[in-house]
Amino acid sequence: MPARKLYFESIRVGDELPALAKAPVDRVQLSRYAGASGDYNPVHVDELYAKSVGMPSVYAPGMLVMGMLGQLISDWARGGQMRRYNVRFIKMVWPGDTVVCKGRVSNRHGTAGRYFVDIDLWAENQRGELVMKGGAQIQLFYSLEDENRQRSGQSPIVIEVPRESLAATPTTSTGGGSSEASAVDEEADESDERRTGASSKKTVPREKPAAKTATLPSPKKAKK
Amino acid sequence: MLDKNAIGRASPPTLNEVEKGAIRRFAEAIGDYNPIYYDEEYARASGYPTIIAPPTFPASFHSAADLRELLGVGIKSLLHAEQGFDYERPIFAGDRIYVSTRVADVSERQGMSGKMDIAVIEDEGRDEEGNLVFRARRTLVVRASKETP
Repeated sequence: MPARKLYFESIRVGDELPALAKAPVDRVQLSRYAGASGDYNPVHVDELYAKSVGMPSVYAPGMLVMGMLGQLISDWARGGQMRRYNVRFIKMVWPGDTVVCKGRVSNRHGTAGRYFVDIDLWAENQRGELVMKGGAQIQLFYSLEDENRQRSGQSPIVIEVPRESLAATPTTSTGGGSSEASAVDEEADESDERRTGASSKKTVPREKPAAKTATLPSPKKAKK
Repeated sequence: MLDKNAIGRASPPTLNEVEKGAIRRFAEAIGDYNPIYYDEEYARASGYPTIIAPPTFPASFHSAADLRELLGVGIKSLLHAEQGFDYERPIFAGDRIYVSTRVADVSERQGMSGKMDIAVIEDEGRDEEGNLVFRARRTLVVRASKETP
């Protein structure tokens, strides 16, 4: 029996998503993710290699952490269709770290029978440090009635919902989907990059490049 | 400085068949046990034709892209700074998706330790009819090496 679905009519700007605390990352998980994603960059799975390039240990690919934050969205927005999902990698996640995923509705609007909510998203480690931040846009049915109508081939319920946004939150992380607009605007931490020591690795980056989540300077507005 | 001529360079589409087992293993690796990724009946009862893939599943797709060839440089290190996805629809088990990769942008930024090269690489997934399924965009800080590709 599927879980109860989420409908647009019940969502308010400012609603917080129930925080998702993931199990601590361990090396088995890193191996599994490498196998499942096909990204066998040794900095994520080979402890000896990682140390040989100056890292304290293997570390999690950024895409794994993005997957965790994706779970937060999918768990909350059951019945919704994800339209957009962007993140910025901020801090590395190490074996033993616990990732806590959080989010808040930053915007809602509807027009011509299509209803959207934007969510501000972020992930913290067990020390409360920001490791990732981003945003997503979800399309939802207005209500159960709207879903039933559309599933039976009828036209959607049309209610014009003017855009409502979180006043205090500049829509940086969810705005417009123009990820390049907010592209790396600050230098990666040089010492961190040196420690990753990828210079000694001459192998060809595969189509999925090394997801080296370097320590970018934390955005000013880390958390709420 | 990366070669601006790299912008627009693309790899030919590569077929990716979306297998149930691959979806299951991908979701398990994330530690996400939402039955929508595992249970056919549950997925159908939820309004989908079959099980769907987690949002970051395109990370597991292959493309024919070789970044060194696309960017025209040897690569000393890459730093994955940002990632974004746009979805036209969910990805379903059984989908046959053609993925191509192109250089969306290259630029140069002044960082604390000198200039940084930024490359924005975009993957595009289309179904067999040519309909767009998703776009994935990664922003990379590229350290080029002296060697030529």
